[in-house]
Amino acid sequence: MKTSGKSSMLKRVGSRSAYGKRKAGFPGNRRLATTVLLVLTVCFLAAVTIMGYFWQEEAVRTDFSRKNLPPCVLYPFGTDWMGRDMFMRTITGLSFSIRIGLLTAAVSAGIAFFSGLAAVVMGKLVNDLVLLFIDVVMGIPHMLLLILISFACGRGFWGVVAGIAFTHWASLARLIRGEVLQLKQSQYVKIAERLGKSRRYIAFCHLAPNLISQFVTGLILLFPHAILHEASITFLGFGLSPEKPAIGIILAESMKYLAMGKWWIALFPGLFLVVVVLLFHYAGQSVCRLIDPGSVHE
Amino acid sequence: MGNMAYKRLAGVCIMALLAFGLAGCTGGGGMVPVTESQGNMAQQGSVELKKNAEAVAGSAGGSEDGKTEKDSVIVVMGPNSEPESGFDPAFGWGAGEHVHEPLIQSTLTVTTKDLKIDYDLATDIKVSEDGLTWTVTIRDGVIFSDNSPLTAADVAFTYNMLRDTSSVNDFTMLKEAKALDDTTVEFTLNRPYSIWPYTMAITGVVPEHAYGPDYGSMPVGSGRYILKQWDKGQQAIFEANPDYYGEAPKMKKVTILFMDEDAAYAAALSGQVDVSYTSAAFSEQPIDGYELFSCDTVDNRGFNLPAVPSGEINENGVPLGNDFTCDLQVRRAVNMALDREEMIAHVLNGHGTAAYSVCDKMPWYQPQSETNYDPDRAAELLEESGWIPGRDGIREKDGVRAEFGLLYPVGDSVRQALAEETANQLADFGIRVNVEGVGWDTAYDRAQSTPLMWGWGAHTPMELYNIYHTSASGGYAEYSPYANGQVDTYMEEALACADTEASYELWKKAQWDGVTGITQDGDVPWIWLVNIDHLYWVKSGLRIAEQKLHPHGHGWSVVNNVDQWTWE
Repeated sequence: MKTSGKSSMLKRVGSRSAYGKRKAGFPGNRRLATTVLLVLTVCFLAAVTIMGYFWQEEAVRTDFSRKNLPPCVLYPFGTDWMGRDMFMRTITGLSFSIRIGLLTAAVSAGIAFFSGLAAVVMGKLVNDLVLLFIDVVMGIPHMLLLILISFACGRGFWGVVAGIAFTHWASLARLIRGEVLQLKQSQYVKIAERLGKSRRYIAFCHLAPNLISQFVTGLILLFPHAILHEASITFLGFGLSPEKPAIGIILAESMKYLAMGKWWIALFPGLFLVVVVLLFHYAGQSVCRLIDPGSVHE
Repeated sequence: MGNMAYKRLAGVCIMALLAFGLAGCTGGGGMVPVTESQGNMAQQGSVELKKNAEAVAGSAGGSEDGKTEKDSVIVVMGPNSEPESGFDPAFGWGAGEHVHEPLIQSTLTVTTKDLKIDYDLATDIKVSEDGLTWTVTIRDGVIFSDNSPLTAADVAFTYNMLRDTSSVNDFTMLKEAKALDDTTVEFTLNRPYSIWPYTMAITGVVPEHAYGPDYGSMPVGSGRYILKQWDKGQQAIFEANPDYYGEAPKMKKVTILFMDEDAAYAAALSGQVDVSYTSAAFSEQPIDGYELFSCDTVDNRGFNLPAVPSGEINENGVPLGNDFTCDLQVRRAVNMALDREEMIAHVLNGHGTAAYSVCDKMPWYQPQSETNYDPDRAAELLEESGWIPGRDGIREKDGVRAEFGLLYPVGDSVRQALAEETANQLADFGIRVNVEGVGWDTAYDRAQSTPLMWGWGAHTPMELYNIYHTSASGGYAEYSPYANGQVDTYMEEALACADTEASYELWKKAQWDGVTGITQDGDVPWIWLVNIDHLYWVKSGLRIAEQKLHPHGHGWSVVNNVDQWTWE
């Protein structure tokens, strides 16, 4: 069943791709596998996000009659010192992390895209300014800047979002700026300039489309970063109030109970955080491989 | 051309990957130092412990042959117990938010086991008819640890200095302290203050000639102990004062370590300390060689219910009042609806007692405060006063939902659990409680309109005054909007009373006089839930003598009587 489905897909991909036909061997094999795994990854992450979204009420519900239970059939991740279901709490925490990740990665990547583009297109002053900002943001230790910004923005949800969004754009901005610089030297851009096209036209019609693959890859690879930083900042207690199920808060709480042998409070949330981060990383790499024309033959 | 572009793109993609791979590494690196430093701290802690253990073994002097009695003890307290500004009464040592005996300094009076007043430095106390002049005779021949004599001038200096500089305790009632001769000091007050002896019981006397900005780290006193060494953030070592005027301390050396709860538990688990503070969460797993000591306290937890409707703001622009809790019948119903015993079983694993006031078991406690758990009557009260369950089961009246936020200070897991338990219990009555963690930076202001889980309890009736008496600035009490003229009057009378013991009756009347007050039959502007037992792991064989009821603050109180402790 699996093989037949695969081969029919193969045929379609093969017939569509001129390169695939010429190279022969196993055309599109790797791409297909990557696509399938990518879809599975996205489904898993989406499921976590959606489940967590609907369990928000349940995840904070305390029930002292079931406190400190080790993992069992009813509570696969056990319960904590106030009888909260750690499975729901973990999923809700991850869901929250993913949603924060989505928001902050999008904002960050947006900032990076426009500042990188503007640096090259809008003249020397803007270029210097953008470079200065990049240096400032990258020069200050990441965590420190994150704490400062989220503190200044009044902590809480928006503090965390602002903190992460405003600290993660710099390296992508630098990358995009480099790419734009390179593109600017290409013949067709020069021709467009000679033809008298405006800077804005060139920026959005000639340069921007070439940056999409960097942008999308950068965007997705920002996720694991954003999620880890969300976890660290809530772990340190600068983010949300402690009844909220965020993964950092759960891990910070669990520290206290490790000494008492309550390993499940730390293990499962930690493990799931790692899994989610790795999945995002994998997804980013897959997307890069799929949309990158250079690897189309694999 | 096309191929070139693809190659370049591929290159860029790889670059991007690399860049993010690297960034990922640094991101990870951002987290590592935290755990590393904690690891280091833990290591340092254990090194410190070993050193101490050796030191103790050394000082016990031949404990190996078993003939010499062990006379040193290592006590673990929470990191918050370490006095930030040192052992200086002006910065709250002894006389701060958490009151205790200052050990290094002597006080004029002390509180007894039943929390009445006894003498320490003082030999006689007289108060004038109008309650404004207190004349205290002090012991002759007391010397400070630098061998200079302690005179009435030092006492006067201490109190005048505290009046001018102390920001952590209230000395505004003191007009002036004056030394009449070497052994007599006279306090002149601005207003009658019958519980002045309770202030004298926590105020350590400092030497005028040796007092300066660095007094906190090098204190000189006349108390039972001398501060030998203080490693900030780690430990403080005390040694018995050989010149102490009273009974010589039986414990010659006291080492106090400051550790987090889990580290304190681990320290006890490895047998390196003699007394280690702990909490109910850790109490369920016994430690070999240690006994769990549970000390009764007035360290109470309760929440305020703003007693006025919303709409007003105070002079700082902070909104006051709450439309749900301003209903007296609601407050009474909430007080009856809460099953304190269940709360103690759930949250404190049984290590606590039900609280009905801020001063349970104190000589000034009004027994009428006690309120029985009566769920039926609570529901009835709500129905009678018009709070009818709405569609979603939450009661409503005139468009107001039976709902309030309950704040707790971030990082205090016991208060968080009490808040959650309160929410669970009140949910059965159709009252919705939204629990929320807040920092102390915003907690005081928000408590003016939203109930907050507080902790109180001190060895002085001033606690009642602080909570229920209207403040000088506004028309309401300081921490939660409430005002009752009759209650104010009783407390003012109690303070004006010439005889401290006689004033207890007035303090009781302030709580309930048969007609009005702050109890269940009165206005119940605060709901008191539990007194939290202070728990300690005590090494078998150590007798930590008879403890007074501990006040709020799970710290220095346990060593109030460390000089009486003995090893078997």
